[in-house]
Amino acid sequence: MVAPGRGPPGQVGRFRGMRGIFLHVLHVTESRLQFQDIRRRFGRLAVLTGVSGAVGPGGMLLVTGPNGSGKSTLLRCLSGLLAPDGGTIEYRETNGGPGAPLDAAERRQRVGMVSPDLAFYAELTVEENLAFFAGLRRVPPDRGLAVLGRLGLPLDRLAGALSSGMRQRLRWAWALLHSPRLLLLDEPFQNFDAPGERTARELLAEHLAGGGLAVVANPSALDFDHAERLDLGR
Amino acid sequence: MRNASTWAAEATSVFVKEWRCEFRTRYALNTLALFAFTTLVVVSVSLGPLGVSRAHGTAVLPVLLWVILLFSVAAGLPRSFVQEEETGTAMALRLAATPSALFCGKLAYGLTLVLALEAMLTPVYVAMTNLKVVSPGLLAGVLAAGGYGLAAGSTLVAAIIAQARSKGTLFSVLAFPVLLPLLLLSVELTRLAVAGSPPGVALPQLLLYDASVTVAGLMLFPAVWNP
Repeated sequence: MVAPGRGPPGQVGRFRGMRGIFLHVLHVTESRLQFQDIRRRFGRLAVLTGVSGAVGPGGMLLVTGPNGSGKSTLLRCLSGLLAPDGGTIEYRETNGGPGAPLDAAERRQRVGMVSPDLAFYAELTVEENLAFFAGLRRVPPDRGLAVLGRLGLPLDRLAGALSSGMRQRLRWAWALLHSPRLLLLDEPFQNFDAPGERTARELLAEHLAGGGLAVVANPSALDFDHAERLDLGR
Repeated sequence: MRNASTWAAEATSVFVKEWRCEFRTRYALNTLALFAFTTLVVVSVSLGPLGVSRAHGTAVLPVLLWVILLFSVAAGLPRSFVQEEETGTAMALRLAATPSALFCGKLAYGLTLVLALEAMLTPVYVAMTNLKVVSPGLLAGVLAAGGYGLAAGSTLVAAIIAQARSKGTLFSVLAFPVLLPLLLLSVELTRLAVAGSPPGVALPQLLLYDASVTVAGLMLFPAVWNP
């Protein structure tokens, strides 16, 4: 495991001093996520039965509940990866005006997501993975590389050779690559060592401070005092 | 204009990624080469070192050429989307890629793979079976158009089956009606190229098939990819 700020010289070092890079253009626009009465079944199993919540600029919604309570399913619905059986999801990114809610396809393109199910190309290096997805996102890979610089991940390592904690760092860099205003974080600190978790929390705090919003799913309540809470425990 | 260029850049990114991963694993290359070489040797040995008579060759050899191509492609190409699902990279792709650009990037990868296979296989096949081709230009055109159809049809079917449980069975079931018209037309046109006859309506039909599969792929893929 490479500690933050201790990556190979020339890879991580060049990104030092970019700490404030995440205080970007978020303040220019306002975003709001609102979902009501979300229902989702898998066959006979009803996973989500009328879940509602909302989060505004700079806000965080903390979704808690035991395993199988539907936290990941809810995040997939919010991201547009999964269509809910019922209910409404309204996510707007406005530039002063009211703005129309984004449909599922637009949400998929806009959100930043960290999830244990998120995997990368094992045959490509960390840098090649980020460059590929930056190409798809039509953004330069700089932001993702800067995140990796802070999290301390060697860029030339094959993604298939990463430890679970390193993969989690790559997920964070991938999620922040396109400067999303909405972060959907499913067990975001899983497998991190203490410095990694500290840096990830800093990244999240900077995202919120810049006017971004976040929905965080975690089995237990995290020590974020200012977060709204949504308990899916049954 | 900017949208078209960014879309093309996305498709190119997918294409480059596919080849970069392929060169590092060589899964499809090895599978295609193994199937192509094995069936080529079997056909050549079975027909004898001197080949078959010209009358029989014109009727039989085009069929065997396309059987070899179909077997090789069916062994290698369906993996392109299945692998994304199995390794978990599909989620990142769904969140980042424009579906139509993803489809075209994958199609371009499949097409170059099939064309490379045809370019290596066909001359060896022609030499080993002593096949006399009167219209090599038409044969090249048929291989290009037929190869495109194979790549497009396989890519579309691969995308459809990627999320199913019985992927192998489903590929066979779905690929049969999709690829059958293509193979019938390609075999007929290859026969005409060998005999030196004009292509007639078969060539426009083959091109129409290619266009239809491409349009169907572009229209169906977003729905298939994002259930």
